[in-house]
This record gives sequence, structure tokens and C-alpha cells, in this order.
Amino acid sequence: MAAGKPERNNGRLCRSFDRVETGPMSSHPLRRTTARDGQTSTDGEPRTAVRLTDVTHEYGSSGRHDRTVTALRDVSIDVRMGEIVGLEGPSGSGKSTILHAVSGLLVPTEGMIELLDTDLTDRSDRERTRLRRRHVGIVFQRFHLLPSLSARANVALPLVQAGVSRSTRRERAESLLEQVGLGDRIGHLPGELSGGERQRVAIARALVTDPDVIVADEPTGELDTATGADVLELLTDVGRERAMVVASHDESTLAVADRVVTLRDGRVVDDGG
Amino acid sequence: MGDNGDEPSERRRSRWRGLVGISIVRLWRRATGTQSRRLAATVGAVALTIALLVVVTGVALGLADGGVVDDHDADVRIAPEDSTSLSAVDDVEEPRLGASHERTAEIRDADGVDHASPTLVELVELEADDGDGSERVLLVGVVPDDESRTVGGLPTDSLETGDSHYADGSYDGPRRGELVLSTAAADRLDAEPGDELAPTGPTIPEDDPVPATTVTAVEDAGDGADETPIALVHLSELQTLSGADDGELADQVLVWGETETAESAADEAYPAASVESIDRTNPSSLFDDGLAFATSLLALLVGVVVCTSFVATTAGMTVNEDRRTLAVLESVGYPTHSRLTIIAVSTLLTTLVGALVGVVLGVGGIYTVNAVASATVATGAVAAVHPVFVPYAVAVALVSGVVATPYPLVVAARTSVLEEVGR
Repeated sequence: MAAGKPERNNGRLCRSFDRVETGPMSSHPLRRTTARDGQTSTDGEPRTAVRLTDVTHEYGSSGRHDRTVTALRDVSIDVRMGEIVGLEGPSGSGKSTILHAVSGLLVPTEGMIELLDTDLTDRSDRERTRLRRRHVGIVFQRFHLLPSLSARANVALPLVQAGVSRSTRRERAESLLEQVGLGDRIGHLPGELSGGERQRVAIARALVTDPDVIVADEPTGELDTATGADVLELLTDVGRERAMVVASHDESTLAVADRVVTLRDGRVVDDGG
Repeated sequence: MGDNGDEPSERRRSRWRGLVGISIVRLWRRATGTQSRRLAATVGAVALTIALLVVVTGVALGLADGGVVDDHDADVRIAPEDSTSLSAVDDVEEPRLGASHERTAEIRDADGVDHASPTLVELVELEADDGDGSERVLLVGVVPDDESRTVGGLPTDSLETGDSHYADGSYDGPRRGELVLSTAAADRLDAEPGDELAPTGPTIPEDDPVPATTVTAVEDAGDGADETPIALVHLSELQTLSGADDGELADQVLVWGETETAESAADEAYPAASVESIDRTNPSSLFDDGLAFATSLLALLVGVVVCTSFVATTAGMTVNEDRRTLAVLESVGYPTHSRLTIIAVSTLLTTLVGALVGVVLGVGGIYTVNAVASATVATGAVAAVHPVFVPYAVAVALVSGVVATPYPLVVAARTSVLEEVGR
């Protein structure tokens, strides 16, 4: 699907950043103008950013609950750098569970989840948190911005934990907000922004550490059609040189994906390949 | 980098500053926003507890101060440089202040000064009229006014107002011949009000007998536990008796009134002398008085327990409402210790603000207690304020905050990120 898509570039960007924790960052936080080291494999194919291998997850299997619910059953999915993968399926089919597993927010009961060739399932909570901060940006349906922090502070939030200096945090956050079209909303609180603006702030926050993987859970679910289209355009632009996994019920949202994986009752019924 | 132990210290410092900054901004937005009620409840609860602690400690300190023999209730003392106050050591000549009547009158005329009196201390042998032995008594000469003041631990109101014998420096005015004896002196002399006592001993020339003085009152000096035999007389009469009338000498000048005004008037009158305000509230006196110490200790325990309970409960409830924020922080890469740091800093900052408000309320409460007590049952202040109350109250509140913090931390640590961000 991606091959036929027109190249989008709003042409507003171009500030040079250092990569937050691991090395040099591209000159373009929304879109990477040059491939980073390791983005392609030795055979010239794009590198696999996320790999789920025979992943099964049961909620309530920690022993504290009598009943367990199987959310995923033997799910195997690969997502390559530069690829946008959509997840579709009815509620309870396991879309969000996959996103949470890719983000390292949960460890599946069985199977392996590799993020840039690192198996998340054998890492400690602390290591998974660090890997998430470095390599994964999350966009939620309901934005999940901190209501008491300004747009700029929300965007800069991941950089605080990364130990980035205040001036650099502000510079990066302001630049990203300008790039998502919110240069005039920098000091606004989330409560003072529209739904579309909040989601743009959330996208800027997801990008501020220049992650390799973006996961988006119903990113347009709270937005009207026009605003949703704008956010989708932004997300597509973002995902061009990263790996992106988007879960949605919405066909127009899934239409931006290079392939769509269909889930039913925790199983992959169509891998979109 | 990030969470590694070998990360640069600059990065660690930036993270710490950032986490504290997030805590402060969140608190500030809450305080000024629509979610201010919970914060106000926490601050208010801490403030009230600390205010209560300050008031009770102030009363305890007042109690302790009342139990110590306090020489004077003056606000400022002027003394010659390098002198000690009310030295009772025999035959040790100390430097004295000259022209005491004249200069004290200048001080007395200054705005903001209620009264000023030179004081002279002499060790004199007193003999009862019936000749039944003599006792050495520390006589303190003073110029009383129409207010009740305390000098040498004794009230001046049993002495006639003014100092008529002085007579503008001629020392030939009428003698009052009045004596206020401390209980210890009265016991030794076996004297009671109305008795006549005469100064005697080798310092009194036999050919120039000094008129006898009449005991006008027997009072407890301070709390009555002081065994020093002491007595108050009119200053000029003691000066005449001791020869200090030549030069109008005095050991010190006591000034009552606004401290700053009194100090500046005193500096003007005696530029070369030592002028110091008298700090009557010494917190260490709490340790000398059993009841006061027990009261303040009880207030401390109650303060810590109540403050801890309030902080733990309200902070726990706040964190409970804040689970989504914690979940978001986790989702953007904040490890547990960073999230808990934000909670701990928020809790302690809230407690600190409450403590500062509490100190202000407590000091106000002490003034209120004193005003009410003065208007009803007491003759003076029953509670005292001391600057050390501020760090004391803040420290107590912070200890309470530290003790209370684990509860909100436990609530925070039990937050499920999936439950919160999945909603």
C-alpha cells in the first residue's frame, strides 16, 4: 500500500537534534530523512522492528484470579521499519493487548516479543521501561495528557526521565509542537485544547524521544472525521521511516496501513500479507 | 543511559530537577485550578495541626518562663560594657552608669517607651527594730511607676510611684522608707508587712544613722523557689545609703516598651553602654519545668500522629485519583522510582506548605490566647512565641510527611497501567 502513496512533507521542519539517549537523531523528528544505522538488514531488506512469535496471553493468570481470559492465542506478527501495520477486529479480539505487549507494558504468558532484536519477555520491568522510553512512542485513543502540564511540558515529559536538560527539553518540545501545527498553543493546558489538538500534542510526545516504533490505539477514535483525517495524515508522515502499529475499528484509519492484520478471539485470521 | 548507574551526574541532576519541577507545577496548577479542594484539605489539616502544636508549645513555654526566676519583665536592658546583670558578688566593684536619673528621664520621654528605671543593687545588712539579729539582703533600687512591673523577680506595685527623695538631684526630698521583701528575705529576717527594718553593718556610719524602712509587702521572687534574699527599695534612697548618689550611679537601666524604640532611645542616652533586648522566652527552659516539658512533649506526639494521619489519608486519596497520571508516566518510560519520587515530593511539599501556614496560624493563635487570657483570667501573657518555633514546626511537619509518605507510595505502586490507560 505504501508504494502507491503520495509523499507528504509539510516542509516546516529542520531542526537538528541529538538522539535522546542512544545517539544521533535525524534532522527531522517527524520524518527521518536518512535511514539510521541498523534500519536495513544485511540483505538490503528493511530491518524487522517488532516480531511477535507464538504469543499467547491470558489475563488473570497471575494466580490471584480464579478465572482467566485468553486475550491472545499463538499470535505471530512481524513489523518492519518503515511499515505501517493496521490491527483490526472486534472489541476483545486482542488488538490493544498486542499494542501493550509491543510497548512492554505487559509480558505475555507465552511466546516471544522482540523489539529491535531484543526479547522483551526476558527483561526486567525496569529494562522494559527503559526500552520503551528509548524505542517506543505510544499514542492513545484518549490522548492521556497530564491535565496540569502545558502542551510543551506534556511533550517534554519523556525527556525529563531521560535526563535531558531543561533548555533542550523546551527546545525540542517547542520544535515538535510547531511541526505538528501547534506552535501557537505551546503554553496551553490540555483542557484548553480541542480534541484534535490534544491528539497532536500526544503525537508530539510520542515522537520526542525519536522512537523507532510507534503504537497507536484508536488514534482517531475521539475525533471528528475532518480532524481525524488531519491526525492520520500526521501519523502517516510520522510512520514513514519508523515502524508503526495502529489498532482501530475505523476503516479510514486502517486505510493508511501498508497491511492490515485481522484478529478474532485473540487469533490472527488474516495477516494482511 | 537513562537508568544506568554509570550515567553522567549531569543527566541525573537534570532528571531530579525535572521530577521536582513536575511535582511543583502539578501542585501549583492544582492549587490554582478546579482541583484545589483536596490540596486545600491537606494543607488545611496540616496547618491546623501545626498551629495547635505551636499554640500548645507556646503555652508550655509561657508556663516554663513563669516558673523561672526572671529578674525583670523589661524589654531592654542598658548596662555598662562587660558587666553582668545583677551581680550579687560581695565587694566586687563593677562599672556603673552615671547620671542615671537624668538620662533615664530622656529615655522615658521617647515615643514608644512605657517606662524606664535605673536599678542599683547593693548587698546591705538589715536589722529588725527589735534588734533580733541582722541578715544580709540584696537591695535593688528602682524607680516604680503606676504600672505593675517586675524587677529582681519582685513586683514594684507595692512601692509608691516615683522617687521623691531624688528631688531633681538634690537627694533631699522626702523618703518613702518602703521595702518590698522577697519571701526568702522575710523568712530570714522573720519580718512581715508593717515591720520596720534598719540598714546596719560596718558600711553604715554610726554617726549618721539611716532611717528605718517599713516592709510594705512580702512577695515571692519569681516562682518563690529562689532562695536569694532580695528586696526592692526606691532607687534614690539606696543611692544615698550606698553613696551612689554622688554621680547618680546605677548598675543598669531597664526600659519597658517597644523594643526597637526603646533600644534606639537607650543608645542615644548611653551611646557607650551595652544595650540589649531581653529575650525572656528561652525554649531550653521547657526542659527545666516538668509540666511544661510534658505538655510540649504531648503536643509534639499528638501533632506528629494527627499530622501523619491527615497527610497519609489525604495524600493516599489524592494518589488514588491520580492513578491515570501515574499510568501515563509509566507508559512514557518513567520507572517506578521516578513515579514514586513525584508522589513523595508532592506529599512533602504539600506538608511543608501546610507547616508554614500552620506556623502563621499558630503564632496568631498565641496572640489570641494571650489577648483572651489577659482579658479574663491572667494578668499577663500566658503563651510565648520564639523564632525557633518556625524550624521546629516545619521539622515536625516534615517528619510527619516522611512517616505518612509510604501510604501514598503503596497506593501509587499498586497502580495498574493497563487498567488506567485502557479505559
